[in-house]
Amino acid sequence: MRRVLLFAAAVSCSATTAAFAHHSYAATYDVTREVKLEGRLVQFVYRNPHSFVHIVAPDDKGVEQRWAVEWSGTTQLGNSGVNKETLKVGDHVVIMGRPSRVPGEYRALMLTLKRPSDGFAWGSAGQQVD
Amino acid sequence: MHARLLAFTAAMLAIVPLSAQPPRPANPTDIAGEWTLTNNEEDTTAQPPLGDYLGIPFNAAGRQRADTTAESIWGTPEYQCRPHSAPHQWRGLGGARILKEQDPLTRDVRAYHVQFMRSLDWPIFMDGRPHPPAWAPHSWTGFSTGQWIGNTLKVTTTHLKDGYLKRGGPQTSDMYSMTDYITRHDEILTIVTVVDDPIYQDEPYVESTTYTIDLASNVAMETCNGSSFAENGGTDRHHVPHFLPGQNTALTEWLKKDDWIPVEPTRGGANTIYPEYRSGAKAFPASRSAVAPEKDIAAQSPRDGQVHVLPVQGNVYMLVADGTNITVSMGADGVMVVDTGAAAMSDKVLAAVNQLASSAVTPPAPNACFGANCPGSWGWASPYMNAIISSPAPPKPIRYIVNTSAAPEHVGGNEKLATAGFFPRGGGFGSAVSNVGRVASIVAHENVLNRMSTPAGPGAKAAPAAAQPTDTYFDEFHKLPEYFNGEAVILYGAPAATTDGDSLVFFRHSEVISAGGLFSTVSYPVIDLEKGGSIQGVIDGLNRILDLAVAEYRGQGGTWIVPGRGRLSDTADVASYRNMVTIIRDRVKDLIGKGMTLQQVKAARPTLDFDGRYATVAAGAWTADSFVEAVYRSLQEKK
Repeated sequence: MRRVLLFAAAVSCSATTAAFAHHSYAATYDVTREVKLEGRLVQFVYRNPHSFVHIVAPDDKGVEQRWAVEWSGTTQLGNSGVNKETLKVGDHVVIMGRPSRVPGEYRALMLTLKRPSDGFAWGSAGQQVD
Repeated sequence: MHARLLAFTAAMLAIVPLSAQPPRPANPTDIAGEWTLTNNEEDTTAQPPLGDYLGIPFNAAGRQRADTTAESIWGTPEYQCRPHSAPHQWRGLGGARILKEQDPLTRDVRAYHVQFMRSLDWPIFMDGRPHPPAWAPHSWTGFSTGQWIGNTLKVTTTHLKDGYLKRGGPQTSDMYSMTDYITRHDEILTIVTVVDDPIYQDEPYVESTTYTIDLASNVAMETCNGSSFAENGGTDRHHVPHFLPGQNTALTEWLKKDDWIPVEPTRGGANTIYPEYRSGAKAFPASRSAVAPEKDIAAQSPRDGQVHVLPVQGNVYMLVADGTNITVSMGADGVMVVDTGAAAMSDKVLAAVNQLASSAVTPPAPNACFGANCPGSWGWASPYMNAIISSPAPPKPIRYIVNTSAAPEHVGGNEKLATAGFFPRGGGFGSAVSNVGRVASIVAHENVLNRMSTPAGPGAKAAPAAAQPTDTYFDEFHKLPEYFNGEAVILYGAPAATTDGDSLVFFRHSEVISAGGLFSTVSYPVIDLEKGGSIQGVIDGLNRILDLAVAEYRGQGGTWIVPGRGRLSDTADVASYRNMVTIIRDRVKDLIGKGMTLQQVKAARPTLDFDGRYATVAAGAWTADSFVEAVYRSLQEKK
């Protein structure tokens, strides 16, 4: 299952030209750094132009924050096998992402998402949404 | 009869501007169709790396604005669904559709409509209509008129909102004009765009884009669903992302790869865009801006001794009265006036209100009913006959005056307008109790009454009793006890904002907010520390407006906001102003944290990138230094 999803994601990212970001990913996120976020999913905003996964997870000081992790739009996610039912509120997830360039902002760009409870995984390094 | 005809013709010629029907070429090119983006001189996404300002004729303000702009600003609730800025639209992905709207009889093209994947409809009017007055709202697409010059359609666009020249940093003010030259050569469409923004540029910026006809394409419409916390995370819905000057370390990141490019030209500047720059020349040609920002900003709030009327929405009108905006609600219950302007303008304001009331509330209505039982005035078969023959009923008087603060431009006309009005206080058979007086109710925060009745300072005189508020409140908000003109009207207090008595007024059904001195499109907020004002109070007040207001679509329209001075605005405009004020607050705070004195803070120019917009002659005596000092002292008081 995981292989299928990864393959789908890779095909989606390489074949589509519909990376219609309204803002610039490279300008929004520091593409030289990665941040690991592990916590409880509180909202999955499955929408256009970009989807967002909201999780409550500790920041680098150990203080719990509400993070917004940017994902692809509905078409791209759909093509990679992710639909609005894929993630549920309460899911424990582990996310690797690119942090915001703005100091102190709790947002990130999705690189990978894993749900240990069932082994669901999306993306891999080099297959991020930008 | 012949003489009458001549006179009529002459009169018609006199009122129709010569530009009403621009000449058409014999065989105008048809630019309508579905077009595919082919290329521009950079790439197909117009997404340069952070800090790449090559080819942009930036001035110092434009450079600082670009350096300190965070792309995360897209995540704020008001901007999540904004379309691409006008200069970027031609370069955004997804193609372009050009439609033509034709007169069914003459087949003249009345307007072209351009649509992109991430845009609102962009009409280009071809019928010679004039551009709106300066106090009219700005929009994402602006107001455009077109004129054929040979085989090229010249499109002139004004009334644009502020936005970005390119993604990732370079910004535009809201005072720029854009001129597109659209030329079709067989299946190729070439667009040369001139962005003329003297607030941020030393000379106009020129770019070109090429499209190819594509009969098989169909420009899609991308949906957008924004929400308060959707994008930026955290729990502060009023978070304003930005970099402090010098904080954005990513500006030269791209030069690590493209290390053959010297840093200097990447910072932009008029000189760097000319070929002579490479050979080390010191003198350069220069093209001049056609935009006069000082004049254009002043025109949004003209001090011309006149009263200009702009219908807003529902019951509400905006009067532009010699440098002050007055918000007026008209309807069957009477008139409500929010702020009364300067005392010297009272007669003209009153005349404008009366004329508006006559034309807006009691015009003869065409008869839609025949017989003795039609709705309308009792005893008449025809409301139309009643209106015409017995003359219409006089408009209802001014019932309420609301003061958003005690500033002279907000209360100056109180006495004259109040005594011309009538609030039925006391009531009784036949008329109000005689000893109550026939005056309008004046509603304001309690501190407005305090300022006007017992002003502080040596030699300060109380305002005439007839000018003082008659009904005050002291807590978070004040609801008028019942509907007025069919809607709820609510005053929200803005504690310690420009003064300690500020209110904003929300017309809940008309969806209009009168912001008073909290918001101006021609100056920085005028904060009176001596009268209890503070920078944080202003920011909180602006955020309150944004919490109440809802955009109609894509961050535009919807709830209209009447500023104390300047053009009619919407949520995106208030957000832009709130962002500016917050950014300056943060910069001053940072400089204070570094131990700087007031003089050092002023010398650091924390308002550099906004002074061309908000510290012009239109702002009068309230200079950039005045504002910085108020922010500095306000933050010091807080410590």
